[in-house]
This record gives sequence, structure tokens and C-alpha cells, in this order.
Amino acid sequence: MTTLTPSKSETAVPPRGHRPRNRGGVSPALRAEHNVARSIGVFLLWVVVVVSIAMLAWIVLQAFRDTRDILASPWGMPKEFDFSNFSRAWNVSDFATATLNSVVTTAVSSTLCVAIAAPAAYYLSRVESRLTSGLSLYFILGLGIPAQVILIPLFVMLDKVQLTDSLIGLNLVYIGLSMPFTVFLLTAFFRSLPLEMEEAAALDGASALRTFVQITLPLAKGGILTAFVLLVVAHWNETLLALTLIQSTEKYTLPVALISFVQQQTYSGADWGGLFAGLCIVILPMLVIYVWLGHRLTEGLTLGMGK
Amino acid sequence: MSAPTIKRTGRAPAPAQKPERGPGGSSIDRQRRKLLVPFVGPAFVFYTILFIVPAIAAAWISLNEWAGSGPMTFVGFKNYIQVFQDPLFVKSFINTLLLLFVVGAVIFILAFAMTLVLRDMAGKKVVRNVIFFPHLVNALVFGVLAGFIFNPGGMVNTLLKPFGVTESPAWLAQDNIFPLIMATMVATTTGYFTTILMAGVDRIPPYFYEDCALAGATAFQRLRYVILPLTWDVFGTCAVLWTISSIKIFEIIWVFGGSSGAGIPPTQSWTTAVYTYVTAFSGQSTPAYGAATASAIISLALVSVLVVLLRRAMRRDAIEF
Repeated sequence: MTTLTPSKSETAVPPRGHRPRNRGGVSPALRAEHNVARSIGVFLLWVVVVVSIAMLAWIVLQAFRDTRDILASPWGMPKEFDFSNFSRAWNVSDFATATLNSVVTTAVSSTLCVAIAAPAAYYLSRVESRLTSGLSLYFILGLGIPAQVILIPLFVMLDKVQLTDSLIGLNLVYIGLSMPFTVFLLTAFFRSLPLEMEEAAALDGASALRTFVQITLPLAKGGILTAFVLLVVAHWNETLLALTLIQSTEKYTLPVALISFVQQQTYSGADWGGLFAGLCIVILPMLVIYVWLGHRLTEGLTLGMGK
Repeated sequence: MSAPTIKRTGRAPAPAQKPERGPGGSSIDRQRRKLLVPFVGPAFVFYTILFIVPAIAAAWISLNEWAGSGPMTFVGFKNYIQVFQDPLFVKSFINTLLLLFVVGAVIFILAFAMTLVLRDMAGKKVVRNVIFFPHLVNALVFGVLAGFIFNPGGMVNTLLKPFGVTESPAWLAQDNIFPLIMATMVATTTGYFTTILMAGVDRIPPYFYEDCALAGATAFQRLRYVILPLTWDVFGTCAVLWTISSIKIFEIIWVFGGSSGAGIPPTQSWTTAVYTYVTAFSGQSTPAYGAATASAIISLALVSVLVVLLRRAMRRDAIEF
């Protein structure tokens, strides 16, 4: 619906009131016919949205209620904002240590992973040779290998060098595990950056290393942040490897602590209040990241799928 | 971790491609080439030691009988034959296939339907943002919640009571858990794939639709001749993504229902990932690393075959627009 505007645009204004107002700039052809099936679809979608939000709100609200209240009426509302579930989960059930472990592990492994992958991705995106295309393929290979394949050998290897039951070991594993994805994503991103600035820097006599650090990295801030956020989400939620590699309670990450909390309930009786508080500790950081950097996430997930 | 982006076949590379250079390359090119070791080296070392070496080791371990410590005995393909004779593995394998194909099919149909509805509805951004969020939540959470929702005195039963359902089914009975897990997977994963499909549909330039309107195409024709062909490659990507991620499903099964007795979920709901973990680390019997790895390698083989087949099947001449 583009109207070519000649220099004398005042005279070229199309007659108004001729056609119905264009809602949201969507062309009429883009709008679907409003039939029954569609209306039902729209309605169902909104139901999904409402239920999802209600579900999340409900989890948070239950975390403020007593276990007995929760069991008596799962639909009830908290009578007061009672933080005892949180403090109990935090202090007694060791969610505090687990949260700290998770935060440190997530931050360290994601940062290092991006720091190690970015130069490699830069090289692979800028130098074209048989070697680099082979290397790219080598990195992509890892995308298709499920974690359970390397689980046992990793455990045995780390055990040999005494890095099982160690957060350092877990960090190393996360870095290695996320390397194919990060290299792949960043290579795609670096490829999409214009070359002119780098060439200008080279003409000015900057070395290749300096060009990378001073020109490309600042330009690539967005892509690097996207990769970092995606890694944070993945490492925060990673469960299988943490469950295998970590044995002592004081080194549990959050998902492992949550599993052990659930399993303890079988013996010590249900503590749904504490459990909901634990769920909140797992979910809410992701919600904060999503609200804050959500566009980076969705962008990153669709990057490499074309524009 | 899930790997949300897979290289697509047939698409032109990103627009900012280097101009062609002679064999010698410019001076910056030559300088760049020297950075191979410092730039790619660390990533290569980390990846090789922590990913490729274990993967190769896994292939080797799967050919041996090994309890983790003590001697390894080479037994050839005995582990593979053994796991296929183990009813537990067969059950796990069938469950994995059910997740892969049945849940996958339902997710795709729903996601595509949602994409079509979402394409031009008011408030599409809000809906999209909300349905995407479950992807960021650890699947453990859904497993734990299901335990609460389907509890005998839980939410579903209290909801059903006013409708006269007093003898509600035992949702969390061992035989019912797996269908519930499948339903939960559909509910929590569809949004993610809808988001990806939408990114593909949004890429279609509006003049195609305008052309359809001018030519008097029906909604179905528009779907058949415009939307599907132009999003075909996105479908392919999604199918690959789902194949890879569905093979790894573990957490949700591990805690589903929240009342997993000795800490191991009922065998009716196992997947191959659970089978691998339990066979190696449950501590209930002698760990059988060989059989456990064999099960993992079988999953890897399944993924590889499917990905190759998918890429074959989805390969079409890329449509540039």
C-alpha cells in the first residue's frame, strides 16, 4: 500500500473516507476472512494466553501459602504475604546454596563460552578455505549429538582427573557442550556484519587482531549478547549433566536441588509450600531475563533462518 | 541444550559476503589467516576434549562390558543385542518414538494452526510473547506441577467434581503417566515452534497476499500455493529441531507426578535417555556402562538417520523472495 509521493505531496493526497480505515497498517489483502473457524481459533488462543498467565501467577501465589491450606483448597488465595515458605526453602532445604551455585555456574560458563567461541566464529566467518569449511562442519556436528551419549564417558573422564562432584568440572562440561551451538550462532552473526569498517581499519594499518577487538566486537555486541542470553537460559535449566556429575548437597545446582527436594517429600511428607517457593526460584529469573531481554532471545532463535 | 538454529539447505548465504579475492588474498586476509591457532584453537580444544572425545569414547564403551571400574571386556555388538532383548529398553525406545512422532505431529499441526490464526490477529505480539515463555522454563517445573494438578485431591479433580465426576480416573497411575507426559509436552512446546513458524510466515512479503486477493484466491489456495511453499524450509528446520530435542527428554519424566518412590520414575514412562541414566547411575544394581551407552548410541543413530531423511525429504529448490 505504498503511495509514491511526488514533490508536491499536498496535491497527491488520496481521497479520504473512501475505504475503511486501515487497522494497524495491515493491508486489506493480509486480513483473513472472518469466518467461524477463525473466530474460534482466536478465542482459543486468548484462552491459552489467559491460562498461561494465570498458571504462572498461581504458582507464585501458592508459594505464599501454607502447605495445609494449599492441599485443602488448591484454588485458594494467600491470606497474607507470608514469606515463610521462601525462608524455609532458602535456609532449611539449601536452596540458597543451590541458587548461588547455579548463578555462579551459569554466569561463569556462559561468559567463558562466549569468550572462547567468539574469536573462533570470527575466524570461521572471515577466512574462506577448505580448512575453515571443514572446521565449521566439525563444530556443527555437535549440534546433533544428544547429551546422554557423552554422559558416561564424560563422567569417567572427569572422575579420572577428580573433577566430578566439582563445580569447576561442571563449568568445563557446559562450555564444551555449548561450544557447537555458540560457534554456529556467532558465525552466522559475524557473516551478517558489513565488511567495510574492517577494511577501512585495515587500510588505516590496524592489525587483524586489533580490527577484531576494536571494530568487529563492538559491532557484534548485539549478537554476542544474544548468544550469551541463550546460553544463560540453557545453563540455568540444564539438569541431566548436573544430576550426574554433582553428588554432594553443597554443590547442587538449582534443578538438582529441586529434584532432591521432590524426592525427599516421599519420606518427609509433602511440603508443597516449600516446593512452590522452589519453583519460583527456578522460574522467576527466567521471567526477568525474558521481560528484560526477550527480543534478543526470540531474535537469536530465529537467526540463521534467514531474514 | 537445545540448538534452535540449524543451517538450512539451499538458502543463499547472508548478504554481506566477501568479494572474491585472488589466491594470495589481501594483506588483511593473510594476516587473518595467521590467527587460526589463537582464535580457533581454544574453542577447538574445549570442544574436542569435552565433546568429540567423549562421543568417540561412547562408541567404544558401547562395544564393551564395563561396570565403570575394573576391567573392560570387549564384547562386540552384544550390548546392542542385549538392550533390544531387554523389555525395559524396548518400552523406553517405543516411548521415545511416541514422543518423537506422535507428540511431534500434534505439536506441528497445532503450531501451524496457531500460526495461521496469529498471522493477522490483533494483539499477536502479546500472544506470541506469552506462548513462547514455557520454552525458557525447566521442564522439571511442569513435571512437578503435574503432580499437583492431577493429584487425587488436586486441581483437576476439584474442577471435575461440580460436573458430577466423583470417580475420576487415577491420573497418576503408572500406566497413565506417559500419556499425561505426552500431553504436557504438547502444551509446553507448541508455543516455541509457533514462534519459529511465525518468524517464517512473517518473512513472506505482503504483496504475495495482495496478489492472492487480486487473483481471487481462496484462503485454502493461498495456504497451498503461497504460505506453505514459502515456509517449507522453516518447517524443515523445526522438524530437525524437534527430532534433536525430543531424543533428550529427561527431566520432565524424572520428576513427573512428584511421587517417584525410590527416586526412579515408573518404567512405563521411561525414555531412552532415562534408560541410559538409570542403567549407569541408579546405584540399584551393578552399573552397566556398556548397555547404557549402547542405548544412547541407538538414540544418536535414530537422530542421525531422521535428520538425513528429513533434509532429503524437505529439500526443494529454495524459493528466493
